[in-house]
Amino acid sequence: MRSVFILFSVLAVAAFPAGATLGGSAESVVTDQARFHAKRAVLERRDYTVHEITGDDGTLIREYVTPGGKVFGVSWTGPTIPDLAQLLGAYNTEFQNTLRSKRSRRSAAVVRNSDLVVESAGHTRAFHGRAYLNSMLPSGVTEDVVQ
Amino acid sequence: MRLVDWRGSVAAVLLMTLAACSGGSSSGSSGTGVTTTLPPPISNTQPVLMDYGPIVNGQYVGFNNTVYTTVIICVPGTTTCQSIDHVMVDTGSTGLRIPASVVTLSLPFVTDTSNNPIGNCVQYADTTYQWGPLMKVDVQMAGEVASSVPIQIVGPTNFAAAPSACTAGGTPAQTVAALGANGILGVGLFRQDCGSACAAASPPAIYFTCPASGCVAAPVPLASQLQNPVWMFPQDNNGLSIILPQVGAAGSVSLAGSMIFGIATQSDNALGGAQALGADPGGNFTTTFNGKVYSGSFIDSGSSGYFFLDSATTSLPNCAANSDANGFYCPASPVTFTAINNGPNPKGTGIPVSINVAFSIANALPLIDSPSVVFNNLGGPNPGSFDWGAPFFLGRTVFVGIEGQNSPAGTGPYWAY
Repeated sequence: MRSVFILFSVLAVAAFPAGATLGGSAESVVTDQARFHAKRAVLERRDYTVHEITGDDGTLIREYVTPGGKVFGVSWTGPTIPDLAQLLGAYNTEFQNTLRSKRSRRSAAVVRNSDLVVESAGHTRAFHGRAYLNSMLPSGVTEDVVQ
Repeated sequence: MRLVDWRGSVAAVLLMTLAACSGGSSSGSSGTGVTTTLPPPISNTQPVLMDYGPIVNGQYVGFNNTVYTTVIICVPGTTTCQSIDHVMVDTGSTGLRIPASVVTLSLPFVTDTSNNPIGNCVQYADTTYQWGPLMKVDVQMAGEVASSVPIQIVGPTNFAAAPSACTAGGTPAQTVAALGANGILGVGLFRQDCGSACAAASPPAIYFTCPASGCVAAPVPLASQLQNPVWMFPQDNNGLSIILPQVGAAGSVSLAGSMIFGIATQSDNALGGAQALGADPGGNFTTTFNGKVYSGSFIDSGSSGYFFLDSATTSLPNCAANSDANGFYCPASPVTFTAINNGPNPKGTGIPVSINVAFSIANALPLIDSPSVVFNNLGGPNPGSFDWGAPFFLGRTVFVGIEGQNSPAGTGPYWAY
């Protein structure tokens, strides 16, 4: 970690903020975060940037942004699952469609398509998950950084 | 489902008997040497069954490796009751959830201080969810009765739609066919599904106040939250155990076992040689595998297999994505593993407890395509942690120690096996 900037520190609503959309522009991180009144910190890494959005209910969302300003990965931990329709954007449809084709068990959800990878695990009080796009990983960055 | 008025009467009589004798069945004589007559012990053994599940439109809709039981719910304080078969026994969640289509009783809402109904949301890792109002019932299992228990009525058509914070971009699992069960009986580690976090300001999106204008996330006091019925029993309320026999490598089409209420409260629920392992406030412990420690482990009778780590870490190939076994591991031949579950001693000794677990994973495809539905060797990925699912329960007695409740094993939340 090179530096941490606390950009906002606005308290209050119960609903947790979803952040920017996977594959979308990082500018929407700021827009969404302000709209949802969450706290945000930005961690500068060598080949990418991590935006950490913390909700009052204990949810932590991390968004991984390329030097070009695109969100290549997201991760979450918390008592509930954040709104994946917002967090994954159009990729949530691909995720849900892939899941629906294998509804014969109860387990974590793991989708590994050629570009989109989504992992959702845990249970009430302790969910966690991540998603990333292989095609958008910055040069020299592996999917392991999305945690 | 069928109505069973007489069972309510029996339970009421049992309760009165207990109250009159002020408690329990263990002491046979008073201090003055006058011998008293013992009340009959409370029946605390509830049958459980693993099979093809409930039938919808002439088709079995159960999933593999589901533990079911029959639950009787009653209008509170009455003998107007309904018996519901094939309710999934789930140690990974808390509270009773019944699809509205299954419920024939007319039940009272749980309301908030403004007299508005309370909506409840539960999400699962596979991004399915259940949404619906809290209502109160008396819950009967074996000879045990929990009175005025808040439960979730799932997906009624005459209630507000699920808020987006609940759906979270996921898929509803609100019908018997989608659930593969006539309901979910959450008998996990906790008294409530959410607990203190949902009674405080800025709660997670689990409880909602639902005036006519729409549902909004709101704090809900502990007593109004979805309750684990077991801790609301007047006795045998410190936990439970689930006992299931072992099956062969080809699995089985059905399996009968028991769920016994109470831990070391009667002659039939002693801990024996079971070791107890404390869980954290999220319900998790750690698992050591090949020398590496993984956090976020849990024991979940509602999961269909041993779900752990990933293909790269385990060297187990994933089943083909277009196959019936998609989402499971498909090794060419069975592979045996040993892992170590670690947690604090629930007696508070400060000395961590570690318990070895040996298990085997077989090729899921021929198993899934066979007539069997009970398997001890079905596994799949769960990146970064271990979900000890239904196969873990086969050939074992697994104790669930409820939070804040005491037994000779210590204070819950803990597992013992």
